[in-house]
Amino acid sequence: MTKKTDQEQGGINRREFLGTSAAAGAASILPTRSEAAPQAAAPSNGVPLSLPPTDEQMARELGDTLPPSTMRAAQRPGSDLIVQVLRDLEIEFVASNPGSSFEGLQESLINYGEIPNVMPEFISAMHEESAVDMAHGYGKSEGRPICALVQGTIGLQHSAMAIYQAYHGRAPMVILVGRDDKHFLQAHTADDVAGIVRSFTKWDAHPETLAEALPAIQEAYRQAVTPPCAPTVVILDTEVQKEEAGDIQVPVYVPPVIPTITEQQADEIAAGLMGAAKPRLSVGRFRTPEGIKRSVELAELVGASVETKSQVGPMSFPQSHPLVGPDADDESDYVFGLEASGAHAALHGPHLRTLTERDLTSINFGGIRPPVRPRRDAPGQNDLTADAEASLPLLISAVKRRANSESRKTVVLRTRHHTDANHAARLTAIEAALEKTREGWNASPVSTARIYAELWPLIKDLDWCIGGPSRFSSSHHMQLWDHDKPYSYLGGHPAAALGYGLGAATGAALAARERGRIVINVQTDGDFNYTPGALWTAAHHRLPMLTIMHNNRAWHMELMYVQYMAGVRGRGTDRAHIGTTLRDPYIDYAKLAEGYGVKAEGPIEDPTKLAAALARGVDAVRNGEPYLIDVITQPR
Amino acid sequence: MTSMKIYADKLLMTVSGLLFLMTASAQVEFGPISGDAELGKTSYYDYGCYGCHGFGGIGRKNLANDVSGIMFREDIFLTYLRGRSELNPLFPTQSMPNYPADSLSDADALDIYAYIRTFKDDPPDVEDIPALKAILDGAKAQ
Repeated sequence: MTKKTDQEQGGINRREFLGTSAAAGAASILPTRSEAAPQAAAPSNGVPLSLPPTDEQMARELGDTLPPSTMRAAQRPGSDLIVQVLRDLEIEFVASNPGSSFEGLQESLINYGEIPNVMPEFISAMHEESAVDMAHGYGKSEGRPICALVQGTIGLQHSAMAIYQAYHGRAPMVILVGRDDKHFLQAHTADDVAGIVRSFTKWDAHPETLAEALPAIQEAYRQAVTPPCAPTVVILDTEVQKEEAGDIQVPVYVPPVIPTITEQQADEIAAGLMGAAKPRLSVGRFRTPEGIKRSVELAELVGASVETKSQVGPMSFPQSHPLVGPDADDESDYVFGLEASGAHAALHGPHLRTLTERDLTSINFGGIRPPVRPRRDAPGQNDLTADAEASLPLLISAVKRRANSESRKTVVLRTRHHTDANHAARLTAIEAALEKTREGWNASPVSTARIYAELWPLIKDLDWCIGGPSRFSSSHHMQLWDHDKPYSYLGGHPAAALGYGLGAATGAALAARERGRIVINVQTDGDFNYTPGALWTAAHHRLPMLTIMHNNRAWHMELMYVQYMAGVRGRGTDRAHIGTTLRDPYIDYAKLAEGYGVKAEGPIEDPTKLAAALARGVDAVRNGEPYLIDVITQPR
Repeated sequence: MTSMKIYADKLLMTVSGLLFLMTASAQVEFGPISGDAELGKTSYYDYGCYGCHGFGGIGRKNLANDVSGIMFREDIFLTYLRGRSELNPLFPTQSMPNYPADSLSDADALDIYAYIRTFKDDPPDVEDIPALKAILDGAKAQ
């Protein structure tokens, strides 16, 4: 490693700086620091205090002054090479809210290369939480990362909630964090910036030099896509971004080697599947669409009936496949789980729990010790910790080796049986769902079921994705729609925390824009109001996102909780609306959307006006424009 | 467990069983209405009934079309609202909030009862709703 020290560059090593700062104050080192600051820099019990900005620093932060005249004009800026690393990794987007600690990288993102600002394209986010939620939505939709780029301590804290959600959502993403190690505001920097989110990220690095930074970003990508998939973080100092690259070359990216089952284990499972009279696959969530293709091949080779999770989340088996349905006879004698529990064998990629050693402060996010909840599914007889997607080629080969004329005939008969039985079961389920859906069909406020029912004929022949969570609107698509694509439904709030839906749908729409796809987002009002600025991102970047407000004018779940508590205590159930409802005044989401540049209409209370509005919305997003329809709905 | 607690639980079980039987009955004649439905509309929303039962009685727990045995008579309705709060306040066993008399007066409760009894839902058949028919036809064609 050819580390170029800060001293050699006429500067100061950042760790040394903070140490020096703590020991003696920073005024004598930083030319921009005023004489008024040193007293405040005195350590308190050994901990450096956070200083208020000086006049000079604030002027710089507010853009009233230009960067110092000593700034070097690099011939080959380090940040150009960082962008080249992202380009080589085929990172499509960098979602970011601009910050003064990554101006070098931002300048490269928008100017470097023969076709600048493409692969990656800089996506303007109104809030760092939105930026990370966009990466989350994209990651679930495509099974691969994009980047969020955030500013030092402040931007990373803004984004922390979204990172936490992405961690629980197993969403691959690389978060780049600018760290201003020169001319900084102390409140914007820290010795260990990544420590803010370490307990709920998979991996982080703080490279000292450009030569270290380039492979660090590659490793962050590799870690993000290796199961368990999760966000990773790379801290990029301003000087690393601005460093003269000289003859430093972008290293060749080496993809991860993902652990699989052994050939012997594959053969044993193949024997179980082929020897069974009625085999069944239980399919959960794969990492990428490749896992889905392989699981379809395995199911068809064996003629197994299949249980899918495609109605509840991304990257599962296509719901309309003839082999999918309830176990026709409920007599499966060999159930095999792929990222799902199975009675006789199951493959699960490593769980996020394997990352708990990163929780150095023992906060234990997402659980408390001892575990208070048993596993929802009891482990099978032969649960193996190995990535199912990576293991499927071995399984498919093993099954093919065992296939013979007799087994192929059996598969034909099994497939025919499952096809007929599953079709009948699906029809019965649809008929029951439609009977339920027609209840309150003409009611006002509009029933949430009617929204999904009216939408389906308009989009069923299009390439669509439900980008935001649907649970609060009762997820009627699960009963009424066919979920056949890896991204049909990206799932709920992984950490059950609001503020995620609009950003995630926007991220899904980034992927959709490049692929002729549209995104549907039935958006709860409570969730919407955390980061409504994502609408501007959708307008600015021409994203095909149809947002239909599930406007029940409340944080409705909390309304019911408070109402229940008041009832238990025997008082004031008529006051449960305080703090739980969005009344007085009502929010006009159509006006709000139009203010952000998104075509919109509503509020719609008359259900007979819904279908035409939805048709206009679908037309708009098919033409590449976001659209919002405010619908006053039943509570759920 | 005190004898009072045992009595309360038994009474609730009896009432619940009676309500279940009435709900299951095909032909039941609903009792008279003494409350004011218009006033009841206000209370229905103020007391959050719509939270689970929806605007107009279509929700997670439907009330439209007299489908609930709890609505069979005013006194049963009141008993149901009061039962758990007055007889078993510390151990609410159902998802519906308690409504004791000092939280919701008899008069307000009966107004709510009157309003709920106005709930009617007469949706078209599936075959007569184009969107639903399209979903059904699509499923048949698969």
